[in-house]
Amino acid sequence: MAGTIIADTLTHSTAGSVTTDYVVNGSAKAWVNFNGTGTIAARDSFNVTSLDDNGTGNYDVNFTNAMGNADFSSQVTAGYSADTGRYGENLAYNASFATVGARNSSGTSVDNAGIAVTISGDLA
Amino acid sequence: MQTPDFKGTHLFDRLCWAKENLDGVQSDYRVVYEDSIDECAKILVPDPNWMACALQGGILPPVWVYHELAKDEAQPDFKKHTRGYLLHTTEPMPAMTEEEAIEYLIMKDIPQSVWQNWDEGNRPKMVICKKEQLPSTRTWRNAWRISDELNLAA
Repeated sequence: MAGTIIADTLTHSTAGSVTTDYVVNGSAKAWVNFNGTGTIAARDSFNVTSLDDNGTGNYDVNFTNAMGNADFSSQVTAGYSADTGRYGENLAYNASFATVGARNSSGTSVDNAGIAVTISGDLA
Repeated sequence: MQTPDFKGTHLFDRLCWAKENLDGVQSDYRVVYEDSIDECAKILVPDPNWMACALQGGILPPVWVYHELAKDEAQPDFKKHTRGYLLHTTEPMPAMTEEEAIEYLIMKDIPQSVWQNWDEGNRPKMVICKKEQLPSTRTWRNAWRISDELNLAA
């Protein structure tokens, strides 16, 4: 493919070297920022096929390129609300999708307008 | 823009190309479905960047590839995918219409138990609609169900 650089190691003039395995393994494999209120919709994303609105504060993120297994890492954040507080949570993992949610400071599932999910791990 | 010849190219690399070269397409279609009598209706929402790939053609694998991977994941001793190469080496799908893309999406991301016999039983388990047809507020979101009075011929 045009513009391809094949290298096993990246070396900085003074800061040392890092193998490209670090870059590949450390890069996010999927991410999405979506509005989980109203008729939910993704603002932007990568490697996401669709979202499932499963109910109040509960959503699936379906992957286009599946993960290699269900042991990937998922980071979920939810927009803060001054009155109730908010946090994102991981609910379930599958190689093809991640179920994520949002709760308020009382632990009740709530819809959230600013949910961001980042997936790291090995691809299928 | 012409899609490069991606046959044999890792799907992730194809998605990288698409992210850089295609504008997202927000679809107005939504798929409402029920996969459990104990849970509220779920709503499938197409991803804009994925929809752009579907309309462009030459990027996404055929949906049967996902079904094969799903079979592997359903095995009780499943540890990791060993047939991920199917995603990367299978001839990509040609350009789809938005409606064809929604059909593909249904077969990829909704359980087969729903779409294979969606209209059997006393009422439909799945409805394709426009987002404007959904309730405008979510106050009772966990009580949403597909209407019993739904006119399937409409």
